[in-house]
Amino acid sequence: MPPEAPETPETAQPRSFEWRRFAPPIALLLLLAVAILLPPGLQPGDLRLASLDRTRVDQMRAVVAGLPSSSVVLVGFDPDLGTYPEIRGTVRALLDDLASHGARLAFASFTAEGRALAAAEIDRLVRRAGTNGETAAKVLDIGFISGAEAGMVRAVTSIVPSAVTGPLADAIRSRGGGIGAFDLVLIVSGGDLGARSWVEQVGSRLRSVPMVAVAPTFLEPELAPYLRSDQLKALLATLREGVAYAEEVPVSGAPRDRAIPALPMLAGMLVALGWLAVAVMQRTTGRLGPGTRRGRAA
Amino acid sequence: MNGLFAADLTGTLGTWVGALATIAVWSYLVGERAIFRLLQYLLAGLATGYLALLAIREVLIPRLVVPLVTDPVHNPLLLLALAACLILGGAAWLPPRLVAPLAGLLVGASAAFALGGAVVGTVLPQLGAALIGRADGGAALANGLLALAITVLVLLAFLRGGQKGRLVGRAAVIGRWLLVGGIGAWFGFLLVTRLALLVDRVGFLLGDWLGLIR
Repeated sequence: MPPEAPETPETAQPRSFEWRRFAPPIALLLLLAVAILLPPGLQPGDLRLASLDRTRVDQMRAVVAGLPSSSVVLVGFDPDLGTYPEIRGTVRALLDDLASHGARLAFASFTAEGRALAAAEIDRLVRRAGTNGETAAKVLDIGFISGAEAGMVRAVTSIVPSAVTGPLADAIRSRGGGIGAFDLVLIVSGGDLGARSWVEQVGSRLRSVPMVAVAPTFLEPELAPYLRSDQLKALLATLREGVAYAEEVPVSGAPRDRAIPALPMLAGMLVALGWLAVAVMQRTTGRLGPGTRRGRAA
Repeated sequence: MNGLFAADLTGTLGTWVGALATIAVWSYLVGERAIFRLLQYLLAGLATGYLALLAIREVLIPRLVVPLVTDPVHNPLLLLALAACLILGGAAWLPPRLVAPLAGLLVGASAAFALGGAVVGTVLPQLGAALIGRADGGAALANGLLALAITVLVLLAFLRGGQKGRLVGRAAVIGRWLLVGGIGAWFGFLLVTRLALLVDRVGFLLGDWLGLIR
């Protein structure tokens, strides 16, 4: 970050100008807080975040329902810290869905950020299930796999390190020890090595293992073509699809985590659109705001 | 609840640290740059420390040190890899003729994985899905022509963006607008993602920290 120029008497702005600059983002935060705190009775009744189009939700549920009993699922957990909150609820609902179908989960990460979040999610799963040995047999932490895309290619033939032990690790080794040992690959995307890297490096070498993905909204344009070409069997890549999926999965045990509410999202989008409209109007009429560099120069 | 913290003292401490860090970052909104910069340094320091720990604990010790110590005879390639790492690590004072081939091999191999995967895993299957998978011959032909036209226009935007007045220059302008349209649409998707993050953070402060919502 470049050092900021010291404020001189010429460049110093009056206090009211500073408030004009700082007020909009603070007002946005307050607006979001009010929208979150508003009681359900005061919110518009038919405001729903869940997508009405259930095609992708049905595809994902069909893939999970079609798994054999005691299936082994590889969770390629590489989300990004800045986008994971959007898909967190969807990922947890999907893990619940897989667990309710008796699937055993093995977590592997190819990015450092993904590894940190995977460790937190595995910790949450174990904590929620208590200290019984059943969870230990159903969840395996393969850990961080180095080498980025080269590491993915290596994982096709060998993914479980020798130091990782346990009944699930033994089961994977007895099936060959590579990604081919799994009945399904669930890719949690968001970081540098997401579903596209999986499709390119693993899918092109191992067509027999179906792959499904959960991704934040900004990856939807990138990943949707892979769903249409059947390289991904199912994809949940928008917030609305994720919420719809989480609503479909029955809750068992601990209560479901708080979902992202609809009203603040609507309020935020309206503010963003308004902001954009004002910027366009200022641009077309030649008036630039005081917050912009050219406006200050003027 | 974001569910990442346990309901014990550690979880409470984690929630407080997270809440205070969030507020400290937001202090930038009111022009408080010193606290914001402190948080930036904290993030950079934590990330560096975490990466170093991850590399040592999950890569270097289990995949390099342990195999070399326990069974060096059956891991000759690891010795070569270790020598290569030492050479690349001393690149500043070693002769370029020794370092360049290794660096070239490393960069070339990484690029080959990425490029090979993009061609075999994306370009060919996507073209195949657009052309071969179509039962209707007319639609397949239209898809093929559209794919070809967009590819050529976007390539021209990259290669001939500066030329004006000629046919190629005009095609480059169309290609540039195609790029702008695509980036604009993607920006809309990105906005939803970032807004969801902001709403989640506000919800974390109101729910997990202050306990105002369940």
